[in-house]
Amino acid sequence: MKKLMISATALALLGLPALANDLAGKSWDEIVAQARTEGEVTWYVWHLQDALREAVKPFEAEYGIKVTIAEGTIGGHFDKVLADRMRKTGDVDVHALGFDRYEGMDLAGLYIPLHILPPDSGRAYEVTGVSGQGHAVAYWGNQSGIAYDPAKVDETDLPQNAAEFAEFWAANPGKFGFNYENGGAGPSFYTNVIVNLGGWDRADGTEDVNRLMALEPAMAFFRDNGPNYVITASNADSITRLSDGELVMVSAWEDHLAGLQQRGEVRKDLKFYVPEMGMNGGGNGVGIPLNAPHPAAAAVFVNWLASAETQSMFNATFGTVPMNAAADSSKALVSPEDRANQVAAPARPFRDSVEAYFIENVILER
Amino acid sequence: MSTRAHPVWPKLRLLALLASGLGVILVLIGAVAWIALAQSFGLHNPMGEDRLTLDHWEKMLDRRLYLRAVGYSLWLGFAAALISVALAYPLAIWLRRPFRGSALVSAVLQAPLLVHGLVAAFLFVNIIAYHGLVNQLMVALGVWAEPRQLQNDRNAWGVLILQVWKNLPFALLVLSGSVRAIGDDILDAARDLGAGAFARFRRVILPLSLSALQAALTIVFIGALADYSFQVIAGPTNAQSLAQLMVFSRARSWHEAAVVGVTLMVLSLLGAALIAVLSRALRLRGVL
Repeated sequence: MKKLMISATALALLGLPALANDLAGKSWDEIVAQARTEGEVTWYVWHLQDALREAVKPFEAEYGIKVTIAEGTIGGHFDKVLADRMRKTGDVDVHALGFDRYEGMDLAGLYIPLHILPPDSGRAYEVTGVSGQGHAVAYWGNQSGIAYDPAKVDETDLPQNAAEFAEFWAANPGKFGFNYENGGAGPSFYTNVIVNLGGWDRADGTEDVNRLMALEPAMAFFRDNGPNYVITASNADSITRLSDGELVMVSAWEDHLAGLQQRGEVRKDLKFYVPEMGMNGGGNGVGIPLNAPHPAAAAVFVNWLASAETQSMFNATFGTVPMNAAADSSKALVSPEDRANQVAAPARPFRDSVEAYFIENVILER
Repeated sequence: MSTRAHPVWPKLRLLALLASGLGVILVLIGAVAWIALAQSFGLHNPMGEDRLTLDHWEKMLDRRLYLRAVGYSLWLGFAAALISVALAYPLAIWLRRPFRGSALVSAVLQAPLLVHGLVAAFLFVNIIAYHGLVNQLMVALGVWAEPRQLQNDRNAWGVLILQVWKNLPFALLVLSGSVRAIGDDILDAARDLGAGAFARFRRVILPLSLSALQAALTIVFIGALADYSFQVIAGPTNAQSLAQLMVFSRARSWHEAAVVGVTLMVLSLLGAALIAVLSRALRLRGVL
């Protein structure tokens, strides 16, 4: 990643993608006028594309700017932005990425600075300790936690820490599920259980074999309790099997569950909580590549995405955590008390080592 | 004055004729294979500078996840190939001569070719789900007291069933042509000489369709070895297939994903070579 930072910075200094300068020194009204002339914007976002195509229609109606949402994966889109770096004009106007990915990246080498946007103190340029460096802003807030079937688990019996989860597993064998791949809800669950069991300073991302070996008791905890919980295939698989009645409690993302419920794809009576031991919260951000073909339209779109009105609408439509302080968060699945249990994901690269260690010593032992 | 063409022209003409096929293989597939190979050794780095190194191979070879993926994919590839061919052979012999309804039977047997693997995997998971058809039937019949968790079984029976379901039509297509080409007079002669059904299969049908058998085994083996869609939906969660591991590794490192990709290509070649060598050995030693 350091090499990427160096390369991207060098490219920026060389001035290959010069389009960013088009907006420098222009007033917001001038940028909006230029945006209307450009008339289109391409948003590379990897999730809920169909639903987002509907959600951006108010923007299209207000500004007369057509929004094209590209298909593809988060990795594929990022590869596209990287591959486009050497071109004078790329194909990507607005690029979405998980906010935690910004950690350690030099965003100035990839995206234009967002000080061109009109002032809005409510915008989130930092999410759970990770900064968008003034080049990326949050548009989507999410929270991992536990989805459960209230018909089978009483609210007063919800496990809150590692020991209570073990008790729940023993009392309800085969009824709790989490994934280790195809989605981050499961990794958020098991890494926070490991933190809760002790021996892991989540803020320290230093790779160290001795630190890894010190987590062996936590691995033994998962191995010993292995017969009592289920490893699911993905985030979606977890929620599907919860809704089907096979499982009564699974790791999940708040916005994922809310979206499925609002589209009638899973039961609406399923509930969600964040245990007291804490689970990762975070969000997704957007940046405008240095060589965006429609930079003004991209800026206007990013301003719209991060506005309080749009964030309120996303909260009501998708169940997201609003990423604007002035937005209405009343439609969230999580109560403000539970929201206080949100924690930042453990620091990388040690977290990656722990996840690999977990797979080798827990998943492969099943 | 001689009218004979220069000896180099026939060779050039041959190369020109082969160019359309070889070009695709060498330029397109070869380029991809080369980039994967180079990336596995630290070159073609999309995230920074190139550095020729064995680090990525050493790292992956040190991971149980990688070694298990190799073993699991090989097992799945060979098991799917052998079972598919074993089931396809009697069907090919049965359908060797047309009979009333044989066209319908053939069409039904080849129906899986029209269903995408991902769709099949989701349908299969729905059938074996906790409240799916299988569980409902077993509970209704009183065989099981309550539904059982059949999805993502740790022995990969679900994936194997899907692989055979999907690949049997391929094997049947390949074997059918070869089996149909065997004349009745040959089989009648064998019967007149006292050969029973199994002896006719072993001494006549199998040797005469050995090339088709080799092709069927190879096609199914490579397809099952590289399975992704069945595995991620219906596969065990305590093992990854090589294709699944490649995608999984890709999220963290292009180079590690390339190691898995190169492994997949090498194992495909080795598996196909092994099947070819075994076929040739059986033929030469007159085992069949």
